[in-house]
Parts: sequence; structure tokens; C-alpha cells
Amino acid sequence: MSHFKTVKDGIRVELTPEEKVFLADVLPLLAGVGASGEDPAADRLNVPVYLDDPAANEEWWRLMGQDLEAGRRADRAVFERVVGGDEPTVITPDEADAFLRVLNQARLALGARFGIDVEADHDELPDHSRQVMDYLGWIQEELTIELMRAL
Amino acid sequence: MLAHPTPVIVPDSDEDIDIDRPWQVVVWNDPVNTMSYVVYVFRKLFGYDETKATELMLQVHFEGRAIVSDGPREQAELDCFRLHGHGLWATLEQ
Repeated sequence: MSHFKTVKDGIRVELTPEEKVFLADVLPLLAGVGASGEDPAADRLNVPVYLDDPAANEEWWRLMGQDLEAGRRADRAVFERVVGGDEPTVITPDEADAFLRVLNQARLALGARFGIDVEADHDELPDHSRQVMDYLGWIQEELTIELMRAL
Repeated sequence: MLAHPTPVIVPDSDEDIDIDRPWQVVVWNDPVNTMSYVVYVFRKLFGYDETKATELMLQVHFEGRAIVSDGPREQAELDCFRLHGHGLWATLEQ
């Protein structure tokens, strides 16, 4: 049974207390992403937009970077509210999108720190790292399928 | 109105920047984003139907990249912003 189900007022999220505790760890992970060039997670989340034009790339990030980060913070606030509640939560489609983006960012950040450069690297991860990626991927896939139904 | 004509240097056509030529938004393959998530993002952001979004996703997956939208620079930069907001690696080229 999926953790996400479309209901009259939005999307119902049902996570066990253990899952909520686990997912809550995503928040400090993402809030603590370091600087580009120092943290592989930052390098993955802040990839260049202009590959052959460093000045244009710098300008794009100067103009867009703050808004991008503000959006990420807003997404994490939604995520925190969902995993911080005691009861099953009904969230709006926009909030579900935010929840989905946080799951995806977490996988991207962890994947970068785990050194996943090609898809086959996933299978070579230590058990715990692979289980973390698989669990987040599972939850993300369920929510993606549920949101896709509404398109 | 110019009092005196000034010499005009005709730019080399190879070096000319065509401001009317559309900018292309390219999405690159990565080893973590899932196929279904990429299809969902293409459908949601660009309104593509499932077939078109899936074709683009498969092109990204097998060829390493795909042009997902094009247009004026400002629009292309905004598309790039929205894709980055969803964790896809998008670049701009002309």
C-alpha cells in the first residue's frame, strides 16, 4: 500500500513514526549542504547553467541563486511539517510537489556524497547507504506515481 | 542624423551572434534522478503529454542529453530555473 493517496481535499500522507524519524534527518542534511567545490552535494545541487561561459553562468546564479535557495527552504518547511506531525496528514498538490522535491534533493545530495557517478555505482554502495537511497527512492516513486495521476 | 558616414565593419558570419536565434534548454543525464520523476517534471513544467515526455526522458537516458524547450533567452533562463528547482541539470545553449 502506498504512503500517498489522493483524497477529496488533497493527498493523504501516511508514514509510520519510524519513517518520520528517518525522514526528518533529511532536513539537517539539506540545510547543511556546504559550499560548491567543497561539498559534492553542493556541486550537484548547484550545477552550471552555461557550460562555456563562466561570466554568464556567474550572472545567472547571481540573479537566480537566491530565489532557488528560497524555494528549497520553503519546500523543506512543508516537508518538516509533514514529517513532524503525529497524525496522517492531508496536503495540497503544491505541498506534495514540495515534498517530492525535497525527497529528490536528498537523493541527489546523498548520491553525490556517496560518489555515485554512474548508475552502476548504486549497486556497489555499502549496505546502509544503498538502503537509504532505496528507501528514499521508493517513497519518491510512490509520490511521483500519485502526482502523475492528476496530470 | 550622422554628419559624416562612418566605415562599417561587416562581422564575420561565423562570429556573428544572432540575437533572434532561440536559446535551447538542454537536460543532461544523471545517475540518480529516476525515469518516472523526469517524465513527471517534463509533463508538469512544459505540459507535454506522456508520450512526448517519455521520449525526451529516454533521449536523456540513452543519448546523455535532450533539448526540452527553446525560445528567447529570458524564457530559456526561466525554464532552466524551474528545472534546477526540481533537481534536473539543465543548461542553456544557442
